[in-house]
Amino acid sequence: MPGGHVKLQSLAKRFDEVTAVDGISLEIEGGEFFSLLGPSGCGKTTTLRMVAGFEPPTSGSILLDGVDVANWPPNQRNVNTVFQSYALFPFLTVAENVAFGMKYRSVPKSEVTTRVGEALELVQLAGYGKRRPNQLSGGQQQRVALARALVLRPAVLLLDEPLGALDAKLRRTLQVELNGLQKQVGITFLYVTHDQEEALTMSDRLAVMNHGQIAQLGTPEHVYTEPADAYVADFLGVSNLMEATVEAAGVGAGPCRVRLGDFLLDAATGEVRATGDVKLAIRPERVDLHPHETVGANRMPGMVERLVFLGSTTQIFLRLANGAALQALVRNDGIGLPYRQGTPVSVALPADALRVLPDPGVSVAEIHDETLGDRLLDPAGAAPV
Amino acid sequence: MNGIGTSRDRRGRWLWIALAAPGAVWLIVLFVVPFYAMLAVAGGGINSFFETAVPTWNPLQWSSANLSVVWQDIAGTGAYLGAPALRTLLYTAAATIISLAIAYPVAYFVSRYAGRRKALMLVLLIAPFWVSYMMRMLAWIDLLQQGGFVNSALSFVGLSGSTDWLGGKSVTVIFGLVYGYIPYLILVLYAGLDRIDGSLLEAARDLGLGRWRTFWRVTVPLSKPTIIAGTFITVLPMLGDYFTNQLLSAAPGTTMIGNAIEGQLQSAGETGQGAVVSLMLLVVLLIPMTYYALSTARASREFA
Amino acid sequence: MAGATSEVLSAVPGGASSARRRRRRGNPWRRPWALEGFTWLYIVWSIVPVAIAVLFSFNNGASQSTWQGFSTKWYVGNSVQSVLHNPSLHQAVVQTLKLSILTTLITVPLGIGFAIGIDRWRGRTSSSLNMVMIFSFVVPELLLAVALFLLVTQLLKFLTLGTTAEVAGLVVWNFSWPAIIVRARLVTIGKTYEEAATDLGASRLSAIRRVLLPMLMPAIFASAVLVFASTVDDFVIVEQLSSTAATQPMSVLIYSNVHGGLQGPALNALATIMLFFSLAVALVGFVAYRWMTRGERSQGATQALTGIAGI
Repeated sequence: MPGGHVKLQSLAKRFDEVTAVDGISLEIEGGEFFSLLGPSGCGKTTTLRMVAGFEPPTSGSILLDGVDVANWPPNQRNVNTVFQSYALFPFLTVAENVAFGMKYRSVPKSEVTTRVGEALELVQLAGYGKRRPNQLSGGQQQRVALARALVLRPAVLLLDEPLGALDAKLRRTLQVELNGLQKQVGITFLYVTHDQEEALTMSDRLAVMNHGQIAQLGTPEHVYTEPADAYVADFLGVSNLMEATVEAAGVGAGPCRVRLGDFLLDAATGEVRATGDVKLAIRPERVDLHPHETVGANRMPGMVERLVFLGSTTQIFLRLANGAALQALVRNDGIGLPYRQGTPVSVALPADALRVLPDPGVSVAEIHDETLGDRLLDPAGAAPV
Repeated sequence: MNGIGTSRDRRGRWLWIALAAPGAVWLIVLFVVPFYAMLAVAGGGINSFFETAVPTWNPLQWSSANLSVVWQDIAGTGAYLGAPALRTLLYTAAATIISLAIAYPVAYFVSRYAGRRKALMLVLLIAPFWVSYMMRMLAWIDLLQQGGFVNSALSFVGLSGSTDWLGGKSVTVIFGLVYGYIPYLILVLYAGLDRIDGSLLEAARDLGLGRWRTFWRVTVPLSKPTIIAGTFITVLPMLGDYFTNQLLSAAPGTTMIGNAIEGQLQSAGETGQGAVVSLMLLVVLLIPMTYYALSTARASREFA
Repeated sequence: MAGATSEVLSAVPGGASSARRRRRRGNPWRRPWALEGFTWLYIVWSIVPVAIAVLFSFNNGASQSTWQGFSTKWYVGNSVQSVLHNPSLHQAVVQTLKLSILTTLITVPLGIGFAIGIDRWRGRTSSSLNMVMIFSFVVPELLLAVALFLLVTQLLKFLTLGTTAEVAGLVVWNFSWPAIIVRARLVTIGKTYEEAATDLGASRLSAIRRVLLPMLMPAIFASAVLVFASTVDDFVIVEQLSSTAATQPMSVLIYSNVHGGLQGPALNALATIMLFFSLAVALVGFVAYRWMTRGERSQGATQALTGIAGI
């Protein structure tokens, strides 16, 4: 196996009555950038800490290149961590911080200096060796933390929301840098974050976690366009969840016919063979708006309730004829939008973008809890047009 | 809360226990056991030949002989312990009240109105901590002597300049107690008053209360726990004080319970009684001590 | 907080007319001169007598109340009575230093270990031990001294009265300084740094040695200074556990000679030397503390002191 292969088997962690991690299993290839994504409390940080060795698991195994290290202390694992608070030793200089771990690997003094220099260059902090952590900015401290971990050439690098304390612009810059760094160094990165944009941007693959379990695992494109359930759909960006009833279930791989209020539409992706009440999801960028009275497949009348200018795109809040609230995203490509607040429109929901999701057993409003602040519309809805 | 730093990590609680052990053992051997020794001596007998105390280590064999002697000394005929006990309470009460009367305004001023000079004032308030109790009493012994500064000043103003302040006056002892213990009280009051949220007082003023009213109806009630804590900090050591009286008076008419205990320990054959009186004092102080201990424990937890 | 708000609300009077009445009585935000004067008066009363006592240790005569000119005879000059030449005075200075240094050297490491151990070792035994530690400074010193005296004379007879017993007792009495101050700082530091150290390859002990202890240095220093100063000034325990005049530190010597015995200013000189020791150590500690925490915000010591005050 290539170096840096991580395999978790039925890994679980219970604290008294609370189950933080509920028996998860996953496999990370050597050299992969893998993210654990989820809201706070979902178990992603606990999982990371178990891989690092700071928490002994309640059950399960952690295989690092084939060896079960679940009960090994952290100093014996070939795994290093970048902490959210950086944890740079304040009484040491930057160079001394980076050199800290090499003392335990019996690295000869001359080599230490060379490697420290290389590590600092790698994170673009050459020449900062003599400074102290409190003289550095947040972004610089983060890079020192990276250098300190990478200089030891671990098989796997664990990152616990390292960009959480930085401002948005710096975060975006560092995301790109981290990604480039990972490709350059070739080490497996196990990255924990609650920011879905971050996970989507940087990862080769990611796992969405919820209440100690993995909701879905896959590449960013896959998880985004083919979410396994309403929770994943809604966590990764806007999902435009709608309640609907199946009129005719799909046969084979064919689309199913769903009823939204007075309207019948085809949904061609997801659980097309489901019956009864289902949830539908469609990404805002796939929602097509046309002038009112336009005729065509998979359309419903709707009304523009609000427009939000986002810079490169415009968010359009719609109300469909059956009362459902929807968001559309349109690129600002120089041509002005013919819509204003109150404009009636025809809303096209392409069948291949309309996804049927298994009902997670909770209401749409409950799933939307986290984005409630974004929603200005009342889900109770108005009467159909 | 969990993980490698704590003992939830079964892999090695031994390390933490090993680190704490030396200190813990020292505490037990030299803090807990001595009080058991005190109990054993109190409940023990006397070697009538040498007139030394013979401790009884088995609780089942404790005798109440020493206790009855002490009780006689307090309440029976020829009692001589009653007076010091009463006097101790009186002196402590007087000294505490006077101390509070002085300390509260000072602490209040420094915490709320000192402005730019707050740091300087705090340094000056903390300064007495670095001066030994001996020196602070010595200073007043110098000043209160016949022919000393106080008497000279009094005669300068026309009052009698020949008072023998150090000859056995209760006033002097109380004064000494106040001077000696007030720095602790001021600091405790300061810390508590400093914590009171200023916006509450501003709100009171904003709602129409004048200065006095704000003080009496808002500040004082809010500082009640602090006042209680400060009172305990002052009263606890004061009740065991014996050296203030010895330094500033040394007369039998001003002895405190501490002096009585000292005397009993020095006298042949009275060690057991000394132990009994000490235990009595301990029992009396048990409740304020526990309160003080619990609030300290709580305070250090709050910073977690 | 709810209680506090109700205090404010219940104190507000009902009438707007009373507010109008008050407004006529001058500037409500004026500086409280009376209070300020009182405070300065207290400060003078608190410090000046001590300053005078220090002054009189340099008195040219034998009086503690009449100034007879400046002289250092009580310290070094007088061949019989000065601290330098009088053997019992000299001995007392040495004994004080001996006690303070020994006590500090024992108390601080014990306290550090205790603080770290108790903080990490969760459980009923550990919190009970913590309570015992807190009781050790809550108890009046006389009672502890008596108990120790009885222990040494009745049980642990090998701990003879004298320097050994004095140090043993002083260690107990001062144990809470490092135990509380280091613990407070420990809580502020948290466990992330040690985790980072073990992550980088350190064993737990190595992490404590290379990371935790350096970060605890300010607290360790602060508690060492406090233990030293406290021991220099200590009187009750030392007096109770002393044996011959040879094991009398300065504090006890002053006490036994106040009512006659040594010449007055000699006592002032001794007391001034005690003060000097305390202040010197305080200064060193302060400078060291500031140097160690340069670039770091640390609140540990202040919080610990307030903690000791029991608030």
